[in-house]
Amino acid sequence: MTTIALQQVLHEQRSALLTAWITQVAALGDQHSVHEHALDALLRSLFDDILGILERQPTANPSLEHEESLALALRQLVGEQARHGSSASTCVNVVLTLKHLMSAQVVTATDVTLEDMLWLEQVFEQLTLLTVTAFLAIRERQITQQSLSLLELSTPVLRLWHRILLLPLVGVIDTVRARQITESLLEAIARYEARVTILDLTGVPVLDTSVAQHLMKTIDAARLLGTRVVMTGISPEGAQTLTKLGIRFADVISRATLRAGIAEALLLVGQQISPLEGKR
Amino acid sequence: MAINAEADIQAACRAARQLAETLGFSRAAAYHIATAASELAANVLFHGGGGWLHAQALFDAQTQQALGLEVLALDHGPGIADIALALTEGYSTGKGLGCGLPGVKRLMDDFMIESAVGAGTCVKAIKWR
Repeated sequence: MTTIALQQVLHEQRSALLTAWITQVAALGDQHSVHEHALDALLRSLFDDILGILERQPTANPSLEHEESLALALRQLVGEQARHGSSASTCVNVVLTLKHLMSAQVVTATDVTLEDMLWLEQVFEQLTLLTVTAFLAIRERQITQQSLSLLELSTPVLRLWHRILLLPLVGVIDTVRARQITESLLEAIARYEARVTILDLTGVPVLDTSVAQHLMKTIDAARLLGTRVVMTGISPEGAQTLTKLGIRFADVISRATLRAGIAEALLLVGQQISPLEGKR
Repeated sequence: MAINAEADIQAACRAARQLAETLGFSRAAAYHIATAASELAANVLFHGGGGWLHAQALFDAQTQQALGLEVLALDHGPGIADIALALTEGYSTGKGLGCGLPGVKRLMDDFMIESAVGAGTCVKAIKWR
């Protein structure tokens, strides 16, 4: 095998390549200067790992999946970039920049063979794949985390008045959300010994049988804890659709608006909102 | 539009509503269409084990005016053995309320269902302008 020439070139140009790479990567995107040192260290360790692989005997199909330290460095690098909002192409460009620098050096060297070039090509193909995979994995995790936090944000159980809870539902209600809504509502009912719960549906885009079914289960469970449920905010179209679907909410007080719902809830606990003058 | 997860049902529902609104359906009619699409998509997912939902506008051949909106649900699930029974109010094989299919039939103007046991189910529902 004739990798000696490739090894030699890479060895001789080692520091020049590294410096050039770091400068070019810094110029690539709008890297924040604060993290320059961390980025430098990452690039250095990645550079060492990549050289380590390139200096090996060429194999037909280089697999980089078991290169723990390389994968780790790459993941860190991509993670750093993804945190600063870089796109996938920027991340891939970081790797490709090094490839361009290396090929430029290798091409000018005298006794480098085609096999050497092929090897360089193969290794960088794998590196690019790894980079994209790492980037996607990070994005995937971000999305999962965000949807989880959205889920928590979207089901606030509010204490409207003494023994009155308000549960404003906004957005699509799927199985996961329905379960969470039920859980947090039941917990709140038990904690505040609520007598009345107002379920506001103004923000629910479409009321179909599955949403209705979820709501019925929630209402049934709430009732077992001794609270009356007042539903509010069903749109005229929603009401029409529900009746056409043949869905009936038995024993549930329903009011068109949240305002009417609050008045009803207060009445149920023996309170009312009245003007100050009347009391004096 | 492929229906393979719960999120797809909501996406189908949104898409059907948007199409209905661009075709100039009234708010109530658009709501009906969206609900019907959501019901059919849910059926495709929960009973058919995944499939497709198509929503398309029906145009008059001469005037090019939108005449209606057609929702087509397709799956290759177990199929429905007794269609008349499936269309009966309150009957459900799954955990549902049993008013999905009869509900869609009432929400839409035209309703057709074809099913073969072991081959799948195809439901077509049309709402005219």
